[in-house]
Amino acid sequence: MSTDLKSDLKKDWKKIARASGLAIPDAALERVAQSLDALEAEFRPLVRALPPETEPAIAFRVSPGDAE
Amino acid sequence: MTLLEAAAALRRREISSMELTASALQRIERFNPSTNAVQFVIAEAAREQAKQADEELARGEGRGPLHGIPVAVKDLFYTKGVRTTGGSRLFEDYVPDHDATVVARLRAGGAVLAGKTGMHELAYGITSSNPHFGAIRNPWDRDCIPGGSSGGSGAAVAAGMVSMAMGSDTGGSIRIPAAFCGVVGLKPTYGRVSRYGAMPLAFSLDHMGPLTRSVRDAGAALNVIAGYDPHDETSSRRPAADYVPEIEPSLRGLRIGLPENFYFDRLDPEVDAAVRAAFRTAESRGAEIVPLRVPDIAAINTVARVILMAEASALMEAHLAQRDRFGGDVLSLLDQGRLLPATDYINAQRLRRASERAFAGLWSRVDCLFTPTAPITAPRIGETTVTVGSENEDVRLAATRLVRAINPLGLPAVSIPCGASRGLPIGLQIVGPPFTEALILRVAQALLPAEVPVPGL
Repeated sequence: MSTDLKSDLKKDWKKIARASGLAIPDAALERVAQSLDALEAEFRPLVRALPPETEPAIAFRVSPGDAE
Repeated sequence: MTLLEAAAALRRREISSMELTASALQRIERFNPSTNAVQFVIAEAAREQAKQADEELARGEGRGPLHGIPVAVKDLFYTKGVRTTGGSRLFEDYVPDHDATVVARLRAGGAVLAGKTGMHELAYGITSSNPHFGAIRNPWDRDCIPGGSSGGSGAAVAAGMVSMAMGSDTGGSIRIPAAFCGVVGLKPTYGRVSRYGAMPLAFSLDHMGPLTRSVRDAGAALNVIAGYDPHDETSSRRPAADYVPEIEPSLRGLRIGLPENFYFDRLDPEVDAAVRAAFRTAESRGAEIVPLRVPDIAAINTVARVILMAEASALMEAHLAQRDRFGGDVLSLLDQGRLLPATDYINAQRLRRASERAFAGLWSRVDCLFTPTAPITAPRIGETTVTVGSENEDVRLAATRLVRAINPLGLPAVSIPCGASRGLPIGLQIVGPPFTEALILRVAQALLPAEVPVPGL
């Protein structure tokens, strides 16, 4: 219950930007916050439903010879 | 005249490369002021290359179907000694000291590089209304966008300036301009065409491919640019094939998937009708139409956007202190990407893997899928929202809604014209399993056997 409540909290993008030391003006942050909130609403439920054994699609090759 | 027809005429010495190149340069000079399709014309070097091509052809030293043919490349492909801006003020004076692999292969095939086409700033958008180099206009209606980000390539090919122009596609940037400009646009499988020397937008989503006025020309261009490249570590070692389909291919025995969910949910009615008519045409050519449910495309679109924003912002981070050098729409997307945590990127890549597996199951039931390329025809320049059905939708989200998911899956897809609405072209997207470019081009050729028309300009 408490986990769900926490994950449903809206992110404060301005505070995140400041804490990250990003020099993004307030007016620009106002604009991006709306888009990021919408993306968050679509993305977070997908992440919650991911089985833990699913590994990322990131390719790392020890040597170029291992490429297909 | 198609690229392959011009190539045949060159071989028969009925026309020279100098004449073809002069004609291309004349059309650029005549129609570029009203379309802004070509950002840099490379006239002198093109004439030199054409002269050399004619001399080689006269000596019987043919280098293939592109030998002596004037072409253009999007201005994000590195061209040795020629400015390569990526449509950005950041790189407005950048002159590479080497060619992109695609450009090197075009040159080795004897193609004549006549110009570099305009694009959406940094390839990060679909309008091609570039704040630094001006808006590119659709040859079918110059008040409309050509689509993007390869808008200049779509417009240059549609206007008959060149018969082939190279584009790049990170979330639909070849297929959208192909649909809006009424030309053929091929996004090959990830790894089929080298990305080396093409300014990246998102490493794991970027694909390079041609825009042409005939399906066979797209195959001919792919024949020249496809194949392993040691400079691109995601390049596939799988041998390339002959991608030029026969002139009248049969579709007998082919199973074409008709998506029952998502793709036909919210379309302009005339787009819906034109794409459904394409299914009937395919059936009349012998194909079997298989209705089926596709995996959650909306979810894959979301995953693709997270990956795109994270990778693009990572790439551009070093430049983001120079905020006045970016257009507003691109800067906003780059700001968004910087605020995404690393965990979101990793989880998006995990979701991508899951989506890939879900999609792979489809290919045991069908050989390819038909979908609309875009739910709408080309919007007007400056429009930020469009009405689709009864809903208002952001132009960028609407234009990419049916194409974006194919990029994280890395699948080959081609957009071909399949009708028109109020004088503007409608695109059909044909998607196949990995490395089936020859198959999807065969299907495309069966539906579009002739060269597409050039609008009266």
